[in-house]
Amino acid sequence: MTQPPPNAKPLVLEIKNVTCAYEAGRPAIEDVSFAVQKGEIICLLGPSGCGKTTTLRVIAGFESVSSGEIILNENAVATVDRHVPPEQRHVGMVFQEYALFPHLTVEKNVGFGLTHVSANDRQRQIDKMLALTGLSDLADRYPHSLSGGQQQRVALARALAPQPVMLLLDEPFSNLGPDMTYHMRRELRQLLKKLRTSAILVTHDHVEAFAMADTVAVLNHGKLEQFASPETLYNHPASPFVAKFVGQADFIPGTIHDSTIVTELGEWPLPQPYQGPRDVLVMIRPDDVRIEKSETGCGIIESREFRGSDVLYGIRLNTGELVHGSEPSPRSFPIKTRVKLNVTATHTVVFDRPAHDS
Amino acid sequence: MLPLLYVVVTAMTADFAVWQRLWSTRVPELLLNTLSLSIGVTVINLILGVSLAWILTRYTFPGSGVWNWLLILPLSIPSYVLAYTFTSLLKRGGPVEHLWQSLAGAEAVLFSPFSLTGAVLVLALNTFPFVYLLARSALKNFNVSFEEVAHVTGAGRVTTFVRVSLPLIRPSLIAGLFLAILYVASDFGAVSLLRYQTFTYAVYQQMTGRFDNTAAACLSLVLVACAFVFLAGERWFRRRSRFYQTTGRYRKPIPQPCHPLTALLFTGYLLLVFAAAFGVPVVLLIQWTIEAASAGHLSGKFLGYVWNSLSLSAVTATVAIVCGIPLAYVACRRQTWASTLCVQGAYTGYVLPGPVAALAVLVLVSQIIPQLYGTVFVLLLAYLVHFLPAALQGMESTFQQLTPNLEEASRSLGIRSIRTFFHVTFPLVRGGFLSAWILVFVQCMKELPASLLLRPVGFDTLAVRIWLEASEELYQSAAPPALLIVLITIPVALLLMQKDRQTT
Repeated sequence: MTQPPPNAKPLVLEIKNVTCAYEAGRPAIEDVSFAVQKGEIICLLGPSGCGKTTTLRVIAGFESVSSGEIILNENAVATVDRHVPPEQRHVGMVFQEYALFPHLTVEKNVGFGLTHVSANDRQRQIDKMLALTGLSDLADRYPHSLSGGQQQRVALARALAPQPVMLLLDEPFSNLGPDMTYHMRRELRQLLKKLRTSAILVTHDHVEAFAMADTVAVLNHGKLEQFASPETLYNHPASPFVAKFVGQADFIPGTIHDSTIVTELGEWPLPQPYQGPRDVLVMIRPDDVRIEKSETGCGIIESREFRGSDVLYGIRLNTGELVHGSEPSPRSFPIKTRVKLNVTATHTVVFDRPAHDS
Repeated sequence: MLPLLYVVVTAMTADFAVWQRLWSTRVPELLLNTLSLSIGVTVINLILGVSLAWILTRYTFPGSGVWNWLLILPLSIPSYVLAYTFTSLLKRGGPVEHLWQSLAGAEAVLFSPFSLTGAVLVLALNTFPFVYLLARSALKNFNVSFEEVAHVTGAGRVTTFVRVSLPLIRPSLIAGLFLAILYVASDFGAVSLLRYQTFTYAVYQQMTGRFDNTAAACLSLVLVACAFVFLAGERWFRRRSRFYQTTGRYRKPIPQPCHPLTALLFTGYLLLVFAAAFGVPVVLLIQWTIEAASAGHLSGKFLGYVWNSLSLSAVTATVAIVCGIPLAYVACRRQTWASTLCVQGAYTGYVLPGPVAALAVLVLVSQIIPQLYGTVFVLLLAYLVHFLPAALQGMESTFQQLTPNLEEASRSLGIRSIRTFFHVTFPLVRGGFLSAWILVFVQCMKELPASLLLRPVGFDTLAVRIWLEASEELYQSAAPPALLIVLITIPVALLLMQKDRQTT
C-alpha cells in the first residue's frame, strides 16, 4: 500500500479496478476505481442501467467482484478469491424502498443490528438514533403507519445505529415528493457531517448530487467517466457525456490557431497548453451566453422555455448549429427574434471533434 | 415425481393386448364422456361466471356487498356432497319432479341425475366460483379508460362489452376455465355417485372391481397425458394473452346504482344460483342431520370417523409444510437447475387426479416396501403426493411477496443468514404458511378417491362414509359427516376471498 500524503484524511474505502459481471462477458461495471476519505460524502451519478446500484451492491457484499479489489477500512473485503459476506463488513445500507421490517416497531427496527452490545448500551444507542432523526415520539409505531419521510428516517437510523464503517444509500429520495426531498437532503447531509460518517449515495439527478456530495463519480455504461467535485464536473467536464449529464451544454465547432480558439461566436484564449487536433468542439453553457436583440445578429430564437427566475432560449445560428442561452426573466425576447450572442467563456472546455461530426 | 414415473413404467410395460382391449372398448367412450362433460361445464361456467361478476362489479343495489361473499360458499361443498343431494332432489318422484309436473302437466318427465346433463349441472354449480372469482378481479382492476375510449369513438354499450371489455378480461376467464376443467377432469366423487363414466371413475373400477392395476395404469397414463397437453396449452395461452393494462395509475370502474326493478331482477338471479349451488343442498343436509340425530345415528362410531379425518389431515398438512419450506425457499431465492428440477418434480402431483395418485402410491409401496401396504402410512403418502403442490404454491407465492431487500438489509446490519431467516423471513411468511396449512388440511378432509382405495380396513374417514352411505342412497346417514365437512371448509373459502380482496 502506498503511504497517503500527510495532510490527507485516512481512506475508508478504496475500490481498485473493480469489474462485476452478472453474465460472463457482459460486465455491469468495468474497471472502476475510486477512494473515499473519512467523513466524505460521495455521489454515484449516472443514467439508469449505468452500474451505480451494482457498484453499491458490490461494496455492500451482495455481489462479488469478477476482478479488482475492494479495501474497506484497510481490510481487503473483496478480491477475486476472497469474499467477505455482507454481515461481516460493517457497512450500513439504506434501500430504495427502505426495506423496513414490517413486523417490527420503529424501535425494534432501529435496534435490529445492535446484537453484540449489552441491553443498556443497546437502549442508549437506540434512543440516541431516534433523537437524532426526530423519531422519538414514533418509537412504538409500525412502519406501515408512517409517512414516506418518516420511513426514510427509520431506515437511516437503523443503518446508522451499529455505527457502520460507512453508509450506502440507493436512490434514497426517489420515493419522496419534491418538497420532502429538498428537506431530507439537507437533513441527511447535516446528520452525516455531524456523525462524521462516510457515505456513498446513488442518484440519477445531478441537482441532488451537487447538493449532497463532496465528490461525484459519474458512471456511464459501467465505466467511471469522471471522479471530481461538483464544481469541477460542471466547469471542467472530462467528456461530452459528463458535460451534458450535469447540465445543459451545447458544443460548437472551433479551430485552434496558436493559443486561440476561433469559433462562430468569438475567439478565446486557450486556458492551458493544448496538444491535439486543430479541429475541436467548444462547450457552451447557457449561463455563458448573453443575448442581445440585433437585426444583423448571428441567429434566430427558435424556442423559449420559461423556468421561473430565468428563461432558456434555443438560438439557431446561421450555420445551423443550435445554442442555448439563459436570460433573467425580466429580459424577455419573443420567438423568431434575430439576436446577437456575446459569449463569455469563463471556463473554456474543448473536446476532440468526432470524425463523423462535420 | 417418482410415483408418476411408476405409473408410466407400469403402463408402458403392460401387455400389448391390454392396450388393444382398452383402446377398442373403453378409451373412446371415456374420452368422449370426459370431453362432453368439460364442454358442458365450460359453457355454463362462462355464462354464470361472467354475468355474476359483471353484475357485482358494475352495479350497486341493496345487498350487493353480501353477495360477493355468498357466491364463494359453493366452493366449500365437495362435489360428491353436491352430487348426492342432487340425486335426492332430481330422482324419479323427487321434489323437483313434483314441482315440474305441477307446472308442465302430470306426464312431464325431467332429466335423470344419472346422465350427462346431471353431471354437467352438478359440476358446473360446483366450479363456477373459479371463473366468477377470476372474472371479478379482472373486472375490478379494469382500466375504465379503455371503455371510455370505445364510447368516445361511438361504440354502444353492447359493442363496447363484446369488443373491448370481454377481450381484455379473456386471460382471466381462460385461467378460471382451466382451473374448472382440471377440477372436472380429475373429479371422482361426483361422477362416481352419478354413475357417469369418465377416466377417474374407470381407473377406480379397474382397481376395485377387476383388481387390474395394469389396465388402471394404462387409463391413468392416457389421462395424465391429456392433463399435460392441457397444462402446456394453458401455459401457451397465458404467454400469448399478456395484456399490460395496469401500468402506473389508471381509473378503476365505479359501481353504479341501478333501477329498483333491475335490482330485483339481479337479486332473483343471484338467489337462484346461490340456492341451487349452496342454499338448498345445505338446508337438505341440516334437515337430514336432524333426522339422523333423532334416529340415534350420531354414535361413538361417528366420532371415530371424525377423529380419523381430523388427525390424518392435521398430520398430512404439517408434514407438507415442513417438507415444503426448503423447497419453496429454494425455488424463490436460490434458483439453480437442480432446484428447479426438484420443485417442478414436486409439482407433478398436480396433474395426478385422486385415483391416479392413489394407484401410483399403491404400486410404488407394494414394490418397494410391501410391509407398509394396508397401513395409514400409505394413505398419508398419497395425500402428500397429491397435496404438496398446493402447499408449495401457497408458500412460494408467500416468499415471492417478500422482497429480498429485507433479508439483505438484515445482513448488512451484521446478522448471519440463518439468524436472518428466523428473525426476518420466518415471521413475515408465517401467515402465508398458516393459510397453506389450512388449505392442505381441508383438502385432506375432503379427499375421497385415495382414501377409498388405500384406507386400512376399518379406518374410514368422513369423506369415505359420505360416499359409502350415499351410494346406498342412505341420505340421512350421509348427512352429518357431509355437513361437518362443509362447515370446516367454509372458513377456508372465505379466507380465499379475503386474499383476493387484499390483492385487488
